[in-house]
Amino acid sequence: MKQVLLLILFVVLWSSPVFAAGKQYDLRVDGLACPFCAYGIEKRFSKTEGVANVEIDLKNGLVVVKTTDGKSFTEDQLRNIVKDAGFTMKSMSENSLGK
Amino acid sequence: MRKFGSYFLIVLVIFAVFAYLTWFPSPLEPPYKLIKIWGEKGTASGQFNDPTGIVVSEDHVFVSDARNSRIQVFDFDGHFQYEIGTSGSEAERLQRPMNLGIHDAKLYVTDYWSDQLKIYSLGGKFINSIGKPGTGSGEFNSPGGIAIDSKSNLYIADFLNQRIQKLTPQGKFIRQWGQTGKTGILSGQFNYPTDTAIDADDNLYIADGYNDRVQVISPEGEIVHKWGGPFAINIFGPFNGWFATVTGIAIGPEGNVFVADFYNGRIQKFSSGGIFLNVFGINSAESAHTAIAVAVAHDGSVFVADYTNNQVQKWVQDEK
Repeated sequence: MKQVLLLILFVVLWSSPVFAAGKQYDLRVDGLACPFCAYGIEKRFSKTEGVANVEIDLKNGLVVVKTTDGKSFTEDQLRNIVKDAGFTMKSMSENSLGK
Repeated sequence: MRKFGSYFLIVLVIFAVFAYLTWFPSPLEPPYKLIKIWGEKGTASGQFNDPTGIVVSEDHVFVSDARNSRIQVFDFDGHFQYEIGTSGSEAERLQRPMNLGIHDAKLYVTDYWSDQLKIYSLGGKFINSIGKPGTGSGEFNSPGGIAIDSKSNLYIADFLNQRIQKLTPQGKFIRQWGQTGKTGILSGQFNYPTDTAIDADDNLYIADGYNDRVQVISPEGEIVHKWGGPFAINIFGPFNGWFATVTGIAIGPEGNVFVADFYNGRIQKFSSGGIFLNVFGINSAESAHTAIAVAVAHDGSVFVADYTNNQVQKWVQDEK
């Protein structure tokens, strides 16, 4: 019985945010024409709580956002951050980051 | 009916000739040649991580090394001398420097990240900073470029606020051009302005970034001229006199205007009135982002910040 309880506790903890990995969001952004605007989006995300890293691929109009462990964003939240930086998010994909 | 057809054809031919001469001009002077390149990606002295701005003094080249949060200073042959903005208090250090200006032995740096204009001696001693984040008068949202007039007034391309601000030398607001936060293609409106330059008569030249044009403002504050593609209304392209995202602007010793044409990977040279004179740049297999900023020395040498290759290019013109 003790072993079953330990197993349940382990599963619960493992699935909780305490052990949750961060997320990676690949955002397609319209009008990402030069470093000036790329920096604008990078600046906005870097001041957003829970963002660990932002990389910009100008050539492909791609913004890659990695979050800290356990932090996630909704599509609307990401769309609004991009909009606040003056641009339009065209699409996004989400992946979990491995521990 | 046949007579009308002939007139129409003549008008069409005249228009085609006019359009060709106006919108597809040829260089009017000898070409420029590339005589020196220096730099590579990295963090050591002489290496860059996103060079985004450049300006020259009498004998030095100052380069904004954006992701390394510093200005690097070189002699005209590319030998590293010293760096600026990496020591002292947080207020004295640079974060993401962009286009630069020099006036009265001072270096003016637009710091995109801190939303401030930071001022140093040419030797690198911090003097003071101007502005803070915001949309109000005298505040900035990602400043991208700076020019200084003969009275030491400041003209700042306030990139994300979509305006040009004129401030006193102490940073007090005088006036602005463009509506805060609103883009537009009419005269006096801007679409992500990136840089400014001032000529000897205090005319202000503005790199109107995503409008793919240059706008000129007289010392009295009136928009007097604009150019860049047909009608200068955000029609971009690869032809002479057209732009594809303007990211830097500088005035040469003879009053000519040099424009960094980012997506076309080249510098275009114009008369002060906007007549196309020359074009030069290097092609890159990776992309065309090989000219993001430009500066012109007193001897006419042109220095270009090459974003893609993390380098500085030095160009001189063939004998006229």
